[in-house]
Amino acid sequence: MDDRELIGRVLAGDPSAERALYDAHVDRVFRLVYRMTDDVHRAQDYTQEAFIRGFRRLADFRGDSALSTWLCAIAVSVTLNGLRALRRLREREVGLDEAPALGTRRPEADPDLRTRLASAVDGLPEGYRTVFVLHDVEGYTHEEIATMLGVQPGTSKAQLFRARARLRVVLADFARD
Amino acid sequence: MDDDRLEESLRAAARDYHTPPATPRDAMWRAIDGRRRADRVRRPARRPWIPWAAAAAALLAVGAALGRLSAPGTASPGTTSAPVSAPVSARATAPRVNEAAYRMATLEHLGQSEAFLTLFRASLHTGGRERLVTATARQLLASNRLLLDSPAARDPRTHLLLEDLELVLAEIAQLPADASAGDRKLVGEGMERGAVLPRLRTVVPAGSTPTRGDL
Repeated sequence: MDDRELIGRVLAGDPSAERALYDAHVDRVFRLVYRMTDDVHRAQDYTQEAFIRGFRRLADFRGDSALSTWLCAIAVSVTLNGLRALRRLREREVGLDEAPALGTRRPEADPDLRTRLASAVDGLPEGYRTVFVLHDVEGYTHEEIATMLGVQPGTSKAQLFRARARLRVVLADFARD
Repeated sequence: MDDDRLEESLRAAARDYHTPPATPRDAMWRAIDGRRRADRVRRPARRPWIPWAAAAAALLAVGAALGRLSAPGTASPGTTSAPVSAPVSARATAPRVNEAAYRMATLEHLGQSEAFLTLFRASLHTGGRERLVTATARQLLASNRLLLDSPAARDPRTHLLLEDLELVLAEIAQLPADASAGDRKLVGEGMERGAVLPRLRTVVPAGSTPTRGDL
């Protein structure tokens, strides 16, 4: 059964179609959200929220993009909002100067290249990191990313270019160490 | 490190970045299904009485707006009913009148919500606690849900705004009387995140009377 048929059944109030639609897309959405959060509980929460919002707004889906892209756009928005709220909460708790970037690991704790790179990606500005995860990690095109983030494809390309440039600096530092 | 190794390392970083565990499908579905069931109970989508209830609520709420619109010098919304004995041309205007009534009811509701949220936000700074806050939020929430199920929500932008407003109103309505300042502030932050107030103000500019065609 294709997405269009599933959408029609969901809108007609068929709960089994909701489950089928969920099953068809949940892996992709969860994987993306997990990559952005690195926390299984938060990834679960945000994925659930994304699907609930998706079902509530399904009547507004016009089919301009693939349903999976549309759902991932909702998931990215939910995740970024959640991470921002979390960051604000942490900053309030520990004070601005002491607040570590979300998910940042201390590179000196594990000098392994992979860990160091993961730390470097975690430490990228939100926009760069989001585009890096969507493009280089999850394999979305710049056009799809532009649709998800509500930006121009050129902006997505520019952010990816800057993200990679920053990561190259980290790699070069590592090679020198 | 040469360029090829650099690129390979970048690719490896991307491949291994926060490798996800297996998707906890069933656990997440249980939570989603529970909330969807609650949605269906709260907002039964296609029960025949809902449009009538929505229409009744809309027409009640729109009374004031209708009065203002019929004031001298202001365009009238048209005939409010189309009796069977009326000419065919008069009856043909009924759907348009109905549509206008919904639009006005929505504007009226959004205007009231904007005023309420402005007061609520101010109370976050002053620390004032009005006992009527949760009661008013519940009343607005009820109207909001009726409008969401009415033709007024057919417009995607209005629908989205009503949905986001619903979340904010629901959070305020659920605030216990002895809610801490922190809890209230979190609700306030939720409101800021969705930019609900600025969006409401775009639809209902401060000090203006809602008129037809504003939505």
